[in-house]
Amino acid sequence: MGAADGAIVRAVLAGQEDLFGVLVERCRAEFGRYAVAMLGDADAGSDAMQEACIKAWRSLADCRDPDRFRAWFYRILANQCRTMLGRRRPQTDIDEIEVASRERPDRDLERKELAAALAAALDRLTAEQREAFVLKHVDGRSYEEMETLLGVGVDALKMRVHRARDAMRTLMGETR
Amino acid sequence: MTDNPFTRDAQRYLDGSPHGDLSESERRDADALLAAAVAYRDALPPLDARVDSAVMAELRQPRPGMPAWRWLVQARVRPVWVPLAAAAAALLMWVAGPERTAPSTAAPAVASAHDTVFVQFQIAAPGARTVALAGSFNAWDPAALPMLRAADGTWTLTIALPVGEHSYQFVVDGARWQPDPTAHAQVEDGFGGTNSVIVVGGRGLVRT
Repeated sequence: MGAADGAIVRAVLAGQEDLFGVLVERCRAEFGRYAVAMLGDADAGSDAMQEACIKAWRSLADCRDPDRFRAWFYRILANQCRTMLGRRRPQTDIDEIEVASRERPDRDLERKELAAALAAALDRLTAEQREAFVLKHVDGRSYEEMETLLGVGVDALKMRVHRARDAMRTLMGETR
Repeated sequence: MTDNPFTRDAQRYLDGSPHGDLSESERRDADALLAAAVAYRDALPPLDARVDSAVMAELRQPRPGMPAWRWLVQARVRPVWVPLAAAAAALLMWVAGPERTAPSTAAPAVASAHDTVFVQFQIAAPGARTVALAGSFNAWDPAALPMLRAADGTWTLTIALPVGEHSYQFVVDGARWQPDPTAHAQVEDGFGGTNSVIVVGGRGLVRT
């Protein structure tokens, strides 16, 4: 990683506005998968990321701790995803999963079915459970990373993840 | 929805923590859930860089009350040369000596336009036959940006870089890839080496 986020935020606020593009690129790289997984398709994930970046730009001066920009941005993105989830029930685009699994048909058919079953179950979780499951098992984050992003203690996060897994076990059992 | 919760040990297993014995069905369901999460992750389409362009295009739209000239200035690409010699001399970390073969380097000096910034790279390598600059800005071509040798063994090259983050290395004698130890950030290159990283702003390099 190049200059720390905080140094770039301060440079943007001091007038080097084009440098905001560096922050956008970093946030997309870190949270793009989260946005797609939260909303179930790439177009919605892309919209959420764009909206979150624009909101971050407009309120950058309110980022009180530029050295923690990434967590500040995450909360904007998470709110954006929740707002969009509230507008509609997400439907994971199975066609995209099929495209990604075209080779080695036997094994990939099984993986495609697994992914589709998980996507369908995710769609039935609460937003809070979905977020917890996605961060832990799709993004592969530690509880400590999640604590930094969400500002919620590890014990409470474990409880959310455990409940999400219990729900997923039941939901995926229904599809078998 | 949770009529079949995982046991505490299964939750610890899923957390990657030490755990007691699991029943066959607990382990099967836990493993199936992890496998499904991996399959789902691998199938997710990535967000590509079009998101970045769309955001930056949106942000460059004039805002109400913002003077129009500001946006004209932002769109301009015009090199501005300023005397670099003094800055370069001040930045160069020089260890003299004809026996020296390991190159020493200096953090790049910059002269800025608005969205194009001229960055001068330097490396002191008296024993080198050739030195080139390769980086994310030239597709890592080890031959496209040869540096020029001065009489004192300093190699320099000034190039225009767009505002943003760039990684680079020096290529000594066409074969040896050398990161810039004076750069303010280094990152693994994925091939067992190290890339140096700079963030170029309209007013110079952004430092941590």
